[in-house]
Amino acid sequence: MSKTIEKSVTLASNSVSTDSRRGFLKGMFMSVAAAGVVAPVALKADDAAITEEAEWGVKLGFPVDKYGYGQRSPYEHNVVRRVTDLLSSGDMYASVAMCPIHELEGGIITPNGLFFNRSHGGTAIIDPNKYRLMIHGLIEKPIVLTLAQLKRYPSESRIHFIECPANGSAEWRGPQFNSIQFTKGMMSSAEWTGVKLSVLLEDLGVKPEAKWVLAEGSDNSEMGRTIPIEKIMDDAMLVWGQNGEALRPDQGYPVRLLVPGWEGNLNVKWLKRLEFGDKPWHAKEETSKYTMLQPSGKAIRFFWPMEVNSIITSPCPEKPWTDLKKGDVVEIEGLAWSGQGTIQHVDVSLDGGDNWTEASLKGLVLPKSWTRFSMIIKWDGKPLVLQSRATDDTGNTQPTINQEIAAVGVESVYHRNAICSWEVKANGEVNNVHVRG
Amino acid sequence: MYMSEVRKPLLRTMVALSVIVGSAMAADMKIEKNVDGAVIYPTKDGHYQAYSVNTQSKKGFSSYGRTPTAAEIKAWNKDVMPDGTGLPEGKGSVERGDELFADQCAMCHGDFGMGGKGYPTLSGGQGTLKNQLVDAAKGDEPPVRTIGSYWPYASTLFWYIQSAMPFPHPKSLSNDDTYALVAYLLSVNEIEIDGQELDDDYVLDRAKFLKIKMPNRDGFYPNVDGGVGAKEVAKFLKNPENYGKGTRCMKGCKDGKVTPIKFELKDFKPAMSTTRDLPKEEGSKTVSKGQKLYEAKCSACHANAAIGAPVVGDKEAWAKVTAKGMDVVYKHALSGFNAMPPKGGNMDLSDATVKEIVDYMVGASK
Ligand code: HEC
Ligand code: HEC
Repeated sequence: MSKTIEKSVTLASNSVSTDSRRGFLKGMFMSVAAAGVVAPVALKADDAAITEEAEWGVKLGFPVDKYGYGQRSPYEHNVVRRVTDLLSSGDMYASVAMCPIHELEGGIITPNGLFFNRSHGGTAIIDPNKYRLMIHGLIEKPIVLTLAQLKRYPSESRIHFIECPANGSAEWRGPQFNSIQFTKGMMSSAEWTGVKLSVLLEDLGVKPEAKWVLAEGSDNSEMGRTIPIEKIMDDAMLVWGQNGEALRPDQGYPVRLLVPGWEGNLNVKWLKRLEFGDKPWHAKEETSKYTMLQPSGKAIRFFWPMEVNSIITSPCPEKPWTDLKKGDVVEIEGLAWSGQGTIQHVDVSLDGGDNWTEASLKGLVLPKSWTRFSMIIKWDGKPLVLQSRATDDTGNTQPTINQEIAAVGVESVYHRNAICSWEVKANGEVNNVHVRG
Repeated sequence: MYMSEVRKPLLRTMVALSVIVGSAMAADMKIEKNVDGAVIYPTKDGHYQAYSVNTQSKKGFSSYGRTPTAAEIKAWNKDVMPDGTGLPEGKGSVERGDELFADQCAMCHGDFGMGGKGYPTLSGGQGTLKNQLVDAAKGDEPPVRTIGSYWPYASTLFWYIQSAMPFPHPKSLSNDDTYALVAYLLSVNEIEIDGQELDDDYVLDRAKFLKIKMPNRDGFYPNVDGGVGAKEVAKFLKNPENYGKGTRCMKGCKDGKVTPIKFELKDFKPAMSTTRDLPKEEGSKTVSKGQKLYEAKCSACHANAAIGAPVVGDKEAWAKVTAKGMDVVYKHALSGFNAMPPKGGNMDLSDATVKEIVDYMVGASK
């Protein structure tokens, strides 16, 4: 026991290195909590927003029964998913609507109406009364379940992100979109409710020869993907609930597969069938697409997990610092996540990756989940290049752009998790830049 | 004052680490990793990490389901595997495939599957897979991934075409038609079967199909064949050197220079805005049945100029269409016209309904 404690102390002093300690003593970036009381600026004229009665205070609001299903404030109408033709396969049926992650008001949950939507044949609207799930193949007791029957199983809820492996794919050769929504918006996160497949399968009995499972959707594209049995038995779920309500149609209503931390595409929506077999199926989405072509001319297949990753959500090109003055205190905030484990550290650099300081994690820190990080600084009004770099509990750390390209080239399309950079200009504008070459 | 700020994260790290030491790493237990290199978290003392776990027995719930019948399994089990499992009997010629392709596919995938309309390109690209487009100014070309240059197995082609194409009304192709389309797509990619070129009168059937060897069949790794399951994939994924390993360097770590955007892409819909104001009144919109059905059944082709269908809203194009007289237009919508399939491929729609949709399309394009 005493030996392990000793080990923890040395590990701890390693992780906050003397170098970085000197770094913040010198730069005073971390000194804000101790900055003392700052007097608010005096206003020249009285503010009519205070001295006049507000119009919403002098009349009745709308009655409580106006909306059976509540609406957000009409003032929030610009907080929407967005699309661009450049990321579609021809039209808006095989395309992706990006989540405005810069507009999420903190925490690790995406409101259902803003959840990114990647579909391959449009959004199917399934009649829940006609919904059937079939589980067959190398199973002792094949089964057909209606939705009501499936929901009789004891449920569990888990918070997990889902990310399309093409998130950031426009950036392999260089920065292209001056936008966080378009460089990192192919992901969202929710609390999912459903049943663990291991629970279902305990009754049905998987035959020992079964090594692979085909998960198939019932939509236009009949999305099919092969999942190894090891994942099915670990933490895969059949889910019907999303943030406390039924899955949205664009998330696979009434039932989708959830394979926590894995490529979005594997979380098959509108799930109709699970077939157990002894060989992989080599579906279109695991041969033609979702494979990573290497400089050798060969391609990596079955790259399931989303690797450790992070992004600074504030500031970002859409949410700049143009309202800041020199000397203002400001929070740099972001999201870190890993499909292979739990976020351990997030480091932030203000100088384009030369020097790094460990940021604070805040809120829930869960496996295979978005994790919020924060660093509060006093901005000296000088240009910065901000970066964040996450490490998970497998010990994996996000690579630099150069490190990632050295490993896989620039034609992989998928699984880009290199460190991102935002350039902050003296006027507070924020731009997407790369540190590379 | 500053020292306390430094000590805080230090203490936090210590606490965090001793928690790990106290639980998961007790008795020098190593982290267990799954096939994807991810940590397998044990359920311990009723907890899965931060979650409480319901540890009651969950057996017996399968009493709610029932056994599928043989006919039901047959109806849904339509996948086709590389070893031929699931491949139905049937046959079709290259010539028949050519006809079908011109009628049902070329409007999106281009003549001979050569693309150019924004939809996937289905032919060409052989010999390009080692290309890396680093710098277009230096003449770098991208790799072109198509059925012919990239796809490892023909089984995927048969399965995918029959279950997901043609895009606006999939699952409508017979086994024979699917054989014909596969034969045609192999022929335009100059793929031979058993040393034989696929000319127009070549007839593909199940036996010949099983002899197809796609040019890029050995182009993928890790290996998953021969009963190894996911073992090789696991080995690959456990080593981040294979796909980009970062280091937790804290000082003097600069790796490259700041590179700004060269050509900014900003064709966003809707346009980017973070303003908080009231939306502009759009007037009350009621959606007619014609419009609803148009959007569901016809817009895949009719909202897209590349396909050659008159785009709804394009006054000029529709003026030309209606100049033929509405009788002719209805007839074309019902029975097909050049690349316009009969009823747009929706044979379940009644004639009256199709006419209603046409009326909407015409009305919306005035
Ligand atoms: C309305 C346009 C449209 C029509 C008509 C159409 N397709 Fe497609 N096709 C698509 C789209 C869109 C995709 C990509 C879907 C996705 O992203 O998953 C696609 C994908 C494909 C692919 C996979 C390409 C690849 O490399 O991944 C094949 C093969 C294909 N179609 C064959 C056909 C055949 C054969 C027909 C005619 C029977 C047809 N398509 C008709 C739009 C169309
Ligand atoms: C697979 C693509 C496709 C789909 C789906 C489709 N169309 Fe068309 N349609 C076309 C094309 C291509 C043309 C142009 C034909 C020409 O002018 O050669 C066309 C032309 C037409 C015309 C004009 C005919 C004329 O006389 O010029 C009408 C009317 C029409 N379509 C109605 C419909 C309706 C109604 C639907 C849905 C029920 C539908 N289409 C679905 C491809 C499609």
